[in-house]
Amino acid sequence: MTTTASHIDRVFAFVRRDFKINWSYRAAFFGDILSLITQVVMFYFIGLMVDPNVIPEYGGRTTSYIAFAAIGIALGGFLQLGLGRVSSAIRQEQLMGTLEPLFMTPTSLGVLQVGLAFYDVIYVPIRTAVFLGAVALFLDLEFALSGALPTLVVILFFMPFVWGLGTLASAGIMTFKRGGAAMGLVVLALNVTSGAYFPLDLFPSWVTTIAQANPIAVAYQASRETLLGGAGWEAVTPHIPFMALSAVATLLAGSVAVRLALKREHRRGTLGAY
Amino acid sequence: MTPIVTLDGVSRRYGDKLALTDISMTVEEGTIHCLLGPNGAGKTTMLRVMAGLVGPSEGSLSVLGGDPFQHAIRSRIGWVPSDDRSFYMRVSGRENLLFFARLYGRGKRESTRLVDSLLEEVGLTDDAYKPVRGYSHGMTKRLAVARGLLGESPLLLVDEATHDLDIEGSRTIRALFRDLAERGSTIVWSTQRLEELPGLVDTVTVLDRGAVRFDGSLDDLVASVDRPVYRVAVRHEEGAADSAEFAAAALGESASVVGGEGHVLSIRLAATSELGAALRKLMDAGFEVLTCHEESGAIERAVEMRLGS
Repeated sequence: MTTTASHIDRVFAFVRRDFKINWSYRAAFFGDILSLITQVVMFYFIGLMVDPNVIPEYGGRTTSYIAFAAIGIALGGFLQLGLGRVSSAIRQEQLMGTLEPLFMTPTSLGVLQVGLAFYDVIYVPIRTAVFLGAVALFLDLEFALSGALPTLVVILFFMPFVWGLGTLASAGIMTFKRGGAAMGLVVLALNVTSGAYFPLDLFPSWVTTIAQANPIAVAYQASRETLLGGAGWEAVTPHIPFMALSAVATLLAGSVAVRLALKREHRRGTLGAY
Repeated sequence: MTPIVTLDGVSRRYGDKLALTDISMTVEEGTIHCLLGPNGAGKTTMLRVMAGLVGPSEGSLSVLGGDPFQHAIRSRIGWVPSDDRSFYMRVSGRENLLFFARLYGRGKRESTRLVDSLLEEVGLTDDAYKPVRGYSHGMTKRLAVARGLLGESPLLLVDEATHDLDIEGSRTIRALFRDLAERGSTIVWSTQRLEELPGLVDTVTVLDRGAVRFDGSLDDLVASVDRPVYRVAVRHEEGAADSAEFAAAALGESASVVGGEGHVLSIRLAATSELGAALRKLMDAGFEVLTCHEESGAIERAVEMRLGS
C-alpha cells in the first residue's frame, strides 16, 4: 500500500468506527434530525415577525428572512464541524481512555486529526443538503442552482480556515482539558458576528468593519449572493486569495499549537488525563 | 545481546512528587524483563516513560535505538495498558481490534485474519461480537493483550496483563508472551503477582516508591535471600512446657528457631542443612511433626527483603 493509500485507509477506518458508534446511539441520531426541524420551525416563525425591508437584497431580488437564515444555518453546520469537531473528538478520546492507544499506533498526527472528524465531514454536507432541500420544498424557497458550484468553492476555502481555528482549539482542549462551553460560546459569537442569523447592518458599525476582514462573514455573504441572488463566479473569485491566505495562516498556527500542546503534555505526563 | 531499552538516571516528577528517582537499567533483546513492586512503586510510570507517553524530568533513555517520543519509534512499541477504559465500549471487541489493525496499516483482509487469530489466542472468539461494555475485567484485559500484539512489535510494554484473569486465562497469556520472547520479541512485564515469575521472566527490576531496589536476573534475586523459614506444627510425647526452647536444643546447629506460638514453630535451616535432617532431629528428641510448610516462597522473601518489609 502506498503512503497516501495507507493514510486514506486509516481515515476510513475512523469513518467506519464512528458510523458503528453513532448507529449504536440511534436516539441521538434521530434527535439531531429533530433539532434540525426545530431550528427551521423556529426561524420560520421569527421570519414572520421580521420586516422584509431589513433583509438585504441579493442580485436585486428581495429575500425572506427564512431564506437568509437558512444559508446561515447551513454554513453554520460547517463552522461548527471545523471549529469544534477535532477538539471535541480529542476530548472524547481522552474521556474514553482511547487517546493513548491511538497515539501508540503508527498513525501520523495529521491523519489522526482528519480521521477523528472525517465522519462528520461526510455527514454534515449530507445533512446540509437535506436541510436546504427540505427548506426549499416545504417553505417554498428558491435557491439559484447556478450558484451551487461557486458556493461549493467558497466552502472549500472556508473549511480549511475554520479547520485551522479548530486545530488551535484542540490544542487548547489538550492543554486545559475542559473547553466545551467556551467552544460553544466562540462558535455562537463567530456565527452571530458573521451575519449567520441576522444582517450585519443591524449591528454596530465596528462589528460590520470587523466582519469585512472575517473570512466567515465573507463566506456567508458570498454564499448568499450566489445561492439567493443567482450571482456567478464574479461574487466568489475576488474573495478567494484572502480566504486562502487566512486558511494557510490558521492551519499553520493550529499545527504549531497542537505540536506545542503535545510536547507540553508529554513533559507533564498528562496526555491521557481528563 | 543488544539492549532494546536503556534508562540512564531517569527521574519523573509530578509536581512536588517524585514518581521515579534516578532509574538506570537495561532490557536486552529477546528477554522478558519484569517490573515488580507494590502499588505506587512506579511501574506504570516507568512503562509510560518507555512508551514515550511521558517524558523524563531528568536523565535520558533510548528505546529501540531512539527517543520513544519520536513517532517513528513509538509506533513500533506494542502497548498493553492496565486501564480497562481504553476501548470503544459501544462496539464489539472484534470491531475494536479491526479498527486498531487498520491504524497499524494492515489491509482489510489481513486485518480480519490477524484479528480473528488473535481473538482465538487470547480466548475471546466466543465473545468477539459482543459490545465491549459487556466484557468482564478479565475479558477486557485479554482484548488489550490482543490489541498490543496487532503491530507485531519488536518491543511490548505490558502493564498488569494478568491482573484480573483466572488461573487458566493467566497461564494462557503468560505462555503467549513466553512464546513471543522465544521468537525474538522483547517484553517489559509489569506485575505484582510473584507466582507468575518462575518460567516466565528472565530479568527483574524491583521498584519501591519510584526507586530501584534490585535489578538483575531472577536467579540472582532468589539467590540473594536467606535460607527459607518453615512453619512446623509439633506435639511432644511428654507435653514439653516450652516447645521452642526444647526444639532449639534438639535442632542444635542444623537450624534455629526464629519464632513460634504454642506448638507451631518457625525454624530457619542452617546453610548446610536439609529440611529432612532437621525434622529427623526433632523426631529423635520425641517431637511428633504434624505439618510442615515453607513460610513464604523464595521470590516473595527476596522481594520482601528488597522492599524492607
